[in-house]
Amino acid sequence: MSLGTDASTGSAGAIVTGDSSTRELLSGGLVAVSFASFVVSLLAVAQYVPADAAIGGVTLATVLGGALAVVGLGVVALGAGSYAGAFETEPGQTGGLVSAAFVGALWFAVGGLVGAQTLGLSLTWPVLAVVTGGVGGGVALLAREDLGVTLSTGLFVLLSGLVVLTGLVGPGWRWSPEGFSITVTAVVGIPVITLFAALVGAWTAARVYGGFGPQGRQLGAHMLIGTNAAGMLALLGSIVGFIVVRGFGPMTEGIKYGLYWGPWTWFNPPLVDTWVVVEGPIVWFYWPFVMEGYSTLGAGVDGVLPAIVGTVWLVAGAIVFAVPLGVGAAVFLTEYADKGRFTFLVEISTNGLWSTPSIVYGLFGLAFLVPRLGNTNSILAGQLVLGFMLLPLVVITSRESLKSVPDEYRDASAALGVTKWETIKSVVLPASLPGVITGIILGVGRIAGETAPILLVTTSSPFPSEVAGVVEGGFRFTSAFPFVAVPDVNLIQSSSALPYQLFAVIGAGLGENLDFAWGTALVLLLVVMSFYAVGVASRIYFRRKLNQ
Amino acid sequence: MSVATRLGGLDRGMQLVGGVGTVLLAVTIGSFLVAPALTGYLALAFAAFVFISYAVDEENTARFLLFVTTTSTVLILAFITVYLLVNAVPVVREMGLYLLVGSDPFWSTGTNVYSLVPAMWGTFLTTIIATLVAAPLGIAGAVFISEVAPGWAREIVKPAVEMLAGIPSIVYGFIGFTVLSPYFQGELGVPQLGNLFIVGFVIGVMALPTVVSVAEDAITAVPGPMKDGAHALGATDWQTTTSVTLPTAFSGISAAVLLGVGRAVGETMAATVILANVTKLPEPLADVFGSTVTLTSLIASQYGAASGLQFSALFAAGVVLFVTVIGFSVGSQLIERRMRERLGGEP
Repeated sequence: MSLGTDASTGSAGAIVTGDSSTRELLSGGLVAVSFASFVVSLLAVAQYVPADAAIGGVTLATVLGGALAVVGLGVVALGAGSYAGAFETEPGQTGGLVSAAFVGALWFAVGGLVGAQTLGLSLTWPVLAVVTGGVGGGVALLAREDLGVTLSTGLFVLLSGLVVLTGLVGPGWRWSPEGFSITVTAVVGIPVITLFAALVGAWTAARVYGGFGPQGRQLGAHMLIGTNAAGMLALLGSIVGFIVVRGFGPMTEGIKYGLYWGPWTWFNPPLVDTWVVVEGPIVWFYWPFVMEGYSTLGAGVDGVLPAIVGTVWLVAGAIVFAVPLGVGAAVFLTEYADKGRFTFLVEISTNGLWSTPSIVYGLFGLAFLVPRLGNTNSILAGQLVLGFMLLPLVVITSRESLKSVPDEYRDASAALGVTKWETIKSVVLPASLPGVITGIILGVGRIAGETAPILLVTTSSPFPSEVAGVVEGGFRFTSAFPFVAVPDVNLIQSSSALPYQLFAVIGAGLGENLDFAWGTALVLLLVVMSFYAVGVASRIYFRRKLNQ
Repeated sequence: MSVATRLGGLDRGMQLVGGVGTVLLAVTIGSFLVAPALTGYLALAFAAFVFISYAVDEENTARFLLFVTTTSTVLILAFITVYLLVNAVPVVREMGLYLLVGSDPFWSTGTNVYSLVPAMWGTFLTTIIATLVAAPLGIAGAVFISEVAPGWAREIVKPAVEMLAGIPSIVYGFIGFTVLSPYFQGELGVPQLGNLFIVGFVIGVMALPTVVSVAEDAITAVPGPMKDGAHALGATDWQTTTSVTLPTAFSGISAAVLLGVGRAVGETMAATVILANVTKLPEPLADVFGSTVTLTSLIASQYGAASGLQFSALFAAGVVLFVTVIGFSVGSQLIERRMRERLGGEP
């Protein structure tokens, strides 16, 4: 304690001393080096840039190992410098229990791996692991923060760097952990080691950058949390990007379009008794992947039109079924019901429905709906099952939205002598409409991508070439009573759907259909993600409007 | 008794509308159970009644209709429970406890022997891995969004996490099957295509958005004055987060993890597509790079060819799934309730 205060008061005269900015410069550089190694290691794990790729005469592994060795040495040196009072820092008396436990776990793993793998101790490796773990954690816990934390983690980073640099984990290295059917070779082993070490290095360097103490800890923690968040963004980006890259070609294959001059409409006005033809430019557009079925003859482009139409029918039916029920339930719960046993029961079952696995819905549909609806796989059964799944989402989001309508609205309406139902109809529901619609859009996005339930109750042929003819015939006048014929609507028939189409391709063997599968995945992703994008964007928009 | 007094408290119009409406609706639903051919006509009758009654007594009819919609979730959940249980009865009667504790042979359609042990073990292993992925990363993501991130970063990360929830499970499964499985087979020498680790990892990623959103709600619900107190004592943001915010939101965060675990347990398509779905235990037991089947993929991979006792066994798998997931759901709700009570209602 006294040392720390002496150091800080000693240099308190100068507001920005040269040594403190040196520390920030050095540790900032180390953070940058660690972070770069982290990103490169990630690419190497993915085999995007293999670890044995040569960069200017040296392999990537050597570069990473060297970078980590530099980070390890640098961190230890900075820690020692701080301990010796060369830099202005505010170290605590201890590295902190959580950090020490973390460092101890790191060294435990090092000891265990070295013992079992390098030294070949089959039974006594846990002893070594406990010893190294205890020493590593102990140093971090007991020594003053600037020395303990930097020494224990810096040496870990240095060791990892050296292991890779010296080729101890290099070509020819393999490790088959006992009891697991996996063999790690250097190709994967090196980047995994550098990945961890780089993260640990960045964490420690960030602590040094913050000057140890609470500020340093905050910086270190924020660094890790920020990396995690960036990782989520990268995950989303890479999943979507990967599918777009692989699926764009197959999806857009054979698109043809053109512009030509043609007749728009023609009529035969009375008196003139000649045909008048109105002509104009006509755009012609043909997109086989979404306008055709699976080509039966093997010629032409395979398309997913039957699946798209099936998904549209399923989603439309689910909305028709679930939205009135869900919004009605939300209205009753917020406007009419008193908080009591009944609302509690409804809440429990709504959340229960929310978490019920989709395959269970499928089983239920198979046992309950299919036998009663023509005893065959049918669109109607799929619509109902998806409606059951949509229901809790609509209830939960609509309720949130209705709750956020200010009570003043209701009171004002009631003060005018308007009845309750009239108030709900003309005041509460319109005010909550944006939230309700947003919730519905998000829910639809979710059920549009569901495979398991429709797999059990709706689907039949894996590669349909024809669209399910739900509506046959059109409105037409007839000679017999009632003189109007309505189209036949037949929902009791099987159909494909986009998520099922993807599943069916995988099940049938990807071989020659791989491109078709990527294209289907892209169309599915586009359909579902556009629902989500619209839903999320409108939620942000309306929330912002509400807060103004 | 209390129900009777409550009904008596309603006015005459409500009693009439509610009484006739309830009877008609009950008959309609009942007819769907026993004679589905009649349901259409009865539903028409109910609709006609509602239509007329709405014209005569708008207020009470609206109230009755809204009440009916509210009971729908309860009814559907009840129907799911009943139909799962009823269909699972034959196999339970035949196999008894062997279903849950059986040994080799686990699953043989030839000799009609069924045990869910491999499937339960597969679900257990994948759920553990998924939790190890989703819980720490999800909580860290929630802390980032609610505590750490500057405004612009929050505006990006929060919608991104929501979009992540939008990627359909079959797409995750497809990527796992075409990218991760060959990677593990080629680079890491796993003998077969697809293993439990990939499934666990993938469903962990899928459960991530659930954990982030619910945990973020819990962290945001911590009253500002509590944090201000810590700040006033000179604590840094991070010290406030670890010593005030996270402990206060602890139960909400555990509820988030429970919900995420529930999602992971019920995830179907990723496991079905990635695993080989053999009804055997991995050898040795804890080999997460081995292959077995999960409860969900057991159903999805066998429903088509199943009949009789095997069909019933699939429903037994459904019951185990359903009970587990509902348990997680109810548990997380009770925890959340306790947190809300402890924080003293709405902040």
